[in-house]
Amino acid sequence: MTQILDVMEKSLEGKPMSETDYQLRSFAPKVKEKVREYDIRFDPKAPIPDDGSLADDMFGAATELLAEVGAYCTSTARVISFSEKEIRRAVTEAPKEIELGEGRDRKRLRGRKVGDKTPPWCLLGAGGGACSSDRSFITLVEGYAEIPETNGITTPALTRVGGMRIRPASPLEILGAMRNAALARETCNRVGREGIPIMNSLSTAESDIAFAAALHPKYGMRRSDAYMICCMDPMKADFARLNKVTTALSLGGAIGMCEGPLLGGYSGGPEGTALSNIAHHLMGILTYQASWILPFPLHLRYVSSSCRELLWVISTTGQAVSRNSDIISLNLNYTSAGPCTTMCLFETSASVLAAVTAGLSIESVGVASNRYEDRTTPVEPRISAEVGYAVAGMKLPDANEIAVKLLAKYESKLSKPPLGKGLYECWDAERRRPSKEYRTVIRSFKRSMSRLGVDLKGETA
Amino acid sequence: MDEKNVLKMLGNAIETYDSGAAEKAAKEAVKSKVDPLKAIEAGLAPAIERVGDKFEKMEVYLPELMLAADAMKSAMTVLMPLIPKDKKVSKATVVIGTVQGDIHEIGKNIVSNMLMANGFDVVDLGVNVKTSAFVDEAKRTKAKIIGASALMSSTIGSQKDIIDYLVSLKERKKYGLMVGGGPTTGEWAKEIGADGWGEDAASTVKLANKLSKG
Repeated sequence: MTQILDVMEKSLEGKPMSETDYQLRSFAPKVKEKVREYDIRFDPKAPIPDDGSLADDMFGAATELLAEVGAYCTSTARVISFSEKEIRRAVTEAPKEIELGEGRDRKRLRGRKVGDKTPPWCLLGAGGGACSSDRSFITLVEGYAEIPETNGITTPALTRVGGMRIRPASPLEILGAMRNAALARETCNRVGREGIPIMNSLSTAESDIAFAAALHPKYGMRRSDAYMICCMDPMKADFARLNKVTTALSLGGAIGMCEGPLLGGYSGGPEGTALSNIAHHLMGILTYQASWILPFPLHLRYVSSSCRELLWVISTTGQAVSRNSDIISLNLNYTSAGPCTTMCLFETSASVLAAVTAGLSIESVGVASNRYEDRTTPVEPRISAEVGYAVAGMKLPDANEIAVKLLAKYESKLSKPPLGKGLYECWDAERRRPSKEYRTVIRSFKRSMSRLGVDLKGETA
Repeated sequence: MDEKNVLKMLGNAIETYDSGAAEKAAKEAVKSKVDPLKAIEAGLAPAIERVGDKFEKMEVYLPELMLAADAMKSAMTVLMPLIPKDKKVSKATVVIGTVQGDIHEIGKNIVSNMLMANGFDVVDLGVNVKTSAFVDEAKRTKAKIIGASALMSSTIGSQKDIIDYLVSLKERKKYGLMVGGGPTTGEWAKEIGADGWGEDAASTVKLANKLSKG
């Protein structure tokens, strides 16, 4: 089993290479080469393809990609190489399930399969979206914890402490991370879900020092929470990230590596982005010692994951990973549109549909590209979860038909999406429910989904 | 080799993303006594602009854009020393980087290369750049514009620090300051006193064009 000391040894003794050479002259051309060699092609008519051999080829190509280019350590400017044998062994040894949470909220998170009838694990919340105050943080986390399908919380990120905007790797960031942990736990307690795991610890902690500081038990973080650590695209690590890994390992926490290859970035088009996304899964269980992976591929222009190409990337990634391994993977999706718009709900439905039918679980959701403070509500993750439950077990051709119809509703608006309303403009915090206007939007959305054959829960007037 | 073929050779090197060929073509331009300014303006610049346009349309991707810019730099290294100091080659110098505490580089790289493709002289300071380094480098290179990128809600505060630092030095008006990155918005740019917000690479190039004339 590859362990953290092996990773450090590889980081210190691997092939020296500049970061630019790794990205532009090693990784990018090798991705292209594998796409050509395996004849991987995106078909715009099938954003959710039903082609097992394509998925298997992509998994094989991604394994070769990682074996041939390795990961990269920016702190030492060296390649972290893994042999195909090491990669295959790591895939075999990757956890097939992990237990998270406490008491009645303690649940098993397992890898899913294509067409799996088991509902997805629903990691719900803001996906690290920014919030302006403790008040909006509490409003949001209360709302997330009250969603019946919530298996784990992904908190928003506080941006201010003591009236000051957080600065990276400063006392403000450390205090912000501590506050994030303490507030999240306390807020779950308030709504009777004391045992629910917080899985994006800690969204305010970008630096290793803030991450480590906030893990002190007095702030409420537990071994049964999960510990998300973000990888740098493409397949890069540095000592700060490996410090987080080492700290989380010492706590016995389940590490989730998040990775977001950009369509249009170093991996190129949809085919390369999907390959890179799959290779990151393999890289994550090795380099970041991850027990679960959180892919969030995004479109370079739209900064969301609901366009046709991205649905294909999500679906092929899910199919490749779930057909060829038991790696636990949760797709995080972003929408372009904002709250209180049907477009936002259609977008998240399409991404969740692509993920769940391909054998992935979900983290949902970054709203309006996660660009704006307080522009997210508990509605969007709740709808994502309802859709996830409704489409579990659906066959890929049926999912594709629905995806194409969903795309027709918003695809042309992705470059100029409606930003909708802010948190308190469309969420009634006192009554813990959406505004009347938003309820009308949700009912209209649910009627449309029903016409597409996806029946969701009834919505109160 | 005649001028027409030299210019074609320069353009081809950029559009095939080949640094070695670009350097060779630049040396050929010198050998063939092609005016170095013309070699840049009629050979290299239109080619890199075409690559930039293709990137905007997503016909090529980030690696191609960056390799084309690399090829451009290789040719410029040969040609620039031959251009008289009173001749203006670039629209302006832009000092660009990702702010202190933030190691995200993709957005910054895209903007940096698109600016270069549009005729700016770009000094790319990389990632995790100290506040004072933006200003020191802008002074040293006589830059007209500073570009600060940040991808995290916890790091955009460092964009404000650059502006505050310039204000405290009484040098704010010397530079056009543009900000960009995932969690930034036009409102944020206004709030911190920046001269503009680059929503994406294309809008940042437009903004830089405007600031270079100011």
